[in-house]
Amino acid sequence: MKKISGLIFTLFLNINIVLAENNLKVDITDLWISEAPPTISVLVAYVTLKNNSEIPVSLTSISCSLFSSIEIHRSIVKNDIASMERHPTLEIPSKSTIKLSPGDYHLMLFNPKTPLKIGDAPVFIFSFSDGTQIPVTAAIRKRSNSTY
Amino acid sequence: MAVLVILAAGTGFYISLKQSQNRLEQNAVAQGLFWPNPKRIKDFSSEDHNDKVFGLNQMSGKWSFVFFGYTNCPDICPITMSVMADVYQKLVVEFEDIQIIFVTVDPERDTTNKLSSYVSYFNKDFIGLHDEPKNENSLIGQIGIAYYYNKENENYLVDHSASIFVIDPKMRLVTKLSPPHQSEKIIDQFKNIKRFIDEEN
Repeated sequence: MKKISGLIFTLFLNINIVLAENNLKVDITDLWISEAPPTISVLVAYVTLKNNSEIPVSLTSISCSLFSSIEIHRSIVKNDIASMERHPTLEIPSKSTIKLSPGDYHLMLFNPKTPLKIGDAPVFIFSFSDGTQIPVTAAIRKRSNSTY
Repeated sequence: MAVLVILAAGTGFYISLKQSQNRLEQNAVAQGLFWPNPKRIKDFSSEDHNDKVFGLNQMSGKWSFVFFGYTNCPDICPITMSVMADVYQKLVVEFEDIQIIFVTVDPERDTTNKLSSYVSYFNKDFIGLHDEPKNENSLIGQIGIAYYYNKENENYLVDHSASIFVIDPKMRLVTKLSPPHQSEKIIDQFKNIKRFIDEEN
């Protein structure tokens, strides 16, 4: 009897977790900060955002206590000139995925309060246009060497 | 007789030029070469990441890959430097006379200490340069690097060239490698360029 009630409880718990996950409109995965020399005052982070809902949703702000501010930027290389444009928000169309990746959209992390190293796990808060706030832990990674 | 000599010399020069052009055309990778009239880099005076004078003497006799950027650039510059770290690691086992130079286009914020920490992070052999564009024959001026400050606040951005410039051991600006940069592509291009230049010399 104890085994059956334990099984029912586990099933109930699992169903609840699945329901909670399904309620999330946006999945935020693979958030990582590129390791950089300790003297650098602007770092970069990349992330994948998946909008599971039927309506578009916009990323309106990102915060992390380790940085003075965080902005959404896009790198552009045109006629051999590299520049960046700032995007105050980033819209994720319904049922779509946007990958922020090297040489494209990225998060600019200004004035780190402490140098970050591999193994650190800072928590970022992603805020969306529907009022949702999602905390996500970032990994610190060494940049891949061979391409962009 | 004199006319014949001039004619023969002219024909010889034409054939040599034609052969050079044919070799260039046959070699698809080397087509981006500034050849047959590469710009010769004149002597210049800048400071490296150890506060030492850096000029023609430090470059002649070596193949130099030169990239212009700034340390507060979080995306394109570190990507390019990471690619160049891979290129250098792979080329240096085969060729000793290679150097990677990062020239800051933001000397106001890129202090010697910052520049040193930055270039050493990618490879201890990399060279960081403070090159004052106002100086006569500055490297930035000679190569003709475009850059633009978007000075809205202290975290300002700088638009800058994303290309890598290759200067040969005779101080000739032989090519510009345009983005997107991939290490294997750069290595292949370099080997083809070096082979071509060696045959020309």
